[in-house]
Amino acid sequence: MSGIDWRRAGRPAAFVLSTIVLAVLAAVVPYYLTAYSLYILTEVVIFALACLGLTVVIGWSGQVALAQAGFFGVGAYGAAFLSAHGFPWFGAVAVTALAAAFIGVLIGVPTTRLRGFYFAIATLAFGELMTQIFSSWKSFTGGALGLPVDLLRFGSLNPTVSLWYVSAAILAVSLAILWHVSRTRWGRCLRAVRDLEIATGSLGLSATKYKVEAFAVSAILGSVAGSLYGQALTFITPSSFTSTLVIEFLIVVLVGGVDKLFGAIVGAAFLVVVQEELQSVGAYQRLVFGIALVLMVRFLPGGLVPLLYSTVRRLTGRRRKVEAGPLETDPNPVVDVAV
Amino acid sequence: MAAEGQEQGLRCRGLDVAFGGNSVLRQIDFDARPGFTGLIGPNGAGKTTIFNVITGYVRPQGGDVTLDGVDLLGKRRSAIAHTGVARTFQTPKLITEISVLENVMLGMDGHRRLRDWRSVLGTPGRERTARREALAALGEFGLARYADQPVSSLSLGSQKLIEVVRALVSKPRLLLLDEPAAGVSVDEVKRMTEPLMRWTTENGLCLVIIEHDLELVSQLCPTITVLDFGRVLVTGGPREVTSNPEVISAYLGASFAAERA
Repeated sequence: MSGIDWRRAGRPAAFVLSTIVLAVLAAVVPYYLTAYSLYILTEVVIFALACLGLTVVIGWSGQVALAQAGFFGVGAYGAAFLSAHGFPWFGAVAVTALAAAFIGVLIGVPTTRLRGFYFAIATLAFGELMTQIFSSWKSFTGGALGLPVDLLRFGSLNPTVSLWYVSAAILAVSLAILWHVSRTRWGRCLRAVRDLEIATGSLGLSATKYKVEAFAVSAILGSVAGSLYGQALTFITPSSFTSTLVIEFLIVVLVGGVDKLFGAIVGAAFLVVVQEELQSVGAYQRLVFGIALVLMVRFLPGGLVPLLYSTVRRLTGRRRKVEAGPLETDPNPVVDVAV
Repeated sequence: MAAEGQEQGLRCRGLDVAFGGNSVLRQIDFDARPGFTGLIGPNGAGKTTIFNVITGYVRPQGGDVTLDGVDLLGKRRSAIAHTGVARTFQTPKLITEISVLENVMLGMDGHRRLRDWRSVLGTPGRERTARREALAALGEFGLARYADQPVSSLSLGSQKLIEVVRALVSKPRLLLLDEPAAGVSVDEVKRMTEPLMRWTTENGLCLVIIEHDLELVSQLCPTITVLDFGRVLVTGGPREVTSNPEVISAYLGASFAAERA
């Protein structure tokens, strides 16, 4: 522990540098991509944002929540409705996100007490209920006829480029916040709720409170992503927010790595790009996704992100700290007599 | 905080617990004053059940539990923790994927008040303070060098120690240790008991220890309660307890008791 740990000291510098590089890349990307490619990239960002919510609720707090498509829809309809009624777009997104959080708490209080499977079913039912509401509450959503979206424009930029900037910025801010959270108090408490179940009470933590909070945070992220998705669709109909979308979200988090912050991004890129590439095979798309999922769960249960990490580590020749554990390197090893 | 001097510490009166028709605790009276108290007895005697009643995991059919005169029964587990009760489990309940230090910090996390928004949000300042406190506590148990290791890389003995440290950093009034020395090396037991003795004397902590190692319990605890089949056999000093024929027969078997007689 003596001296300066250069690897740790280098971290802030590396962080600032990579942030600048990414920001510059995000700024210039619209000038080098076709409008279509930019649209696809924006879709990746939006899906990643929605699935960050699932990283929090499924990955960190350990609750398999299947309501994200519902919150996604709330975000899309809410922002579109409010901005059509005179709200500035950002205000509309914020108000809708707060409403989604409120719904999250309302749904979360009774359902987070349910265990695993029952919680999953209850939240799936909520998603279905939302789809029903979207198609039947015609004065608000336009029913099956849909709801046109007022497109966002920054100055002289066209809507596609404007949407890209907004989406990328929101994703970056969300990532930064969640990165902080994952390493501080709230993140630790969520993991305690996930891993220590019965011991959380004696640590002074109310498991239900943290589960509800995680669910509400995922609702906020889902809703904001949905508001952006509305912009991408330009015209929203209830068919955009069915249980198929829930499956797609699950593919994203499972492929990327369910408790990894960057899992949502990697997974979203996988989903959107593969969907684009496989458009020619039509219905077989589902088959391919099905096979991919089975292979994934069988061979890479932790998702792609850990695989990427270990590949990078192998290429750069760095070893994991865990492998050079204290038992081998310690001059005074701690040894158990009986385990 | 105590209403009267005699109310200091833990006081259990007439605890009755039955699971289904099976009576697990019968009219248990059990006290713990500042310092070490031993709770011993054969497997299935109801020792852990007493811990579970105190910490709100099991609701008794009858009886009272108070800590410094404050009623604990009927409170939620987290509320009981907030009144100053901490415990460990027979198998350590730690998050294996995060570091030793973060696990210890978890012991403080549950005791942050909502009013203290900085620690709720995990501002760098508060995190640093928590980190420093956790590191100091680990240091007392000779574990500071493992602070950044993931828990999964440590031995069971070290994990048990870490659980004890995590319980201590919540600054409890009453600490319940469930078989802290089982499966732990002699060296680690020593590393555990020395700082624990210091904490108890410095902070007036009431520490109850469930342990099968009679020698260890006799060394540490001026008062020992022996349970058998859900009832108290005897409560007394180490010498009184170890020479009690009922205890010898319950612990070492009737034949040993006869032999000694």
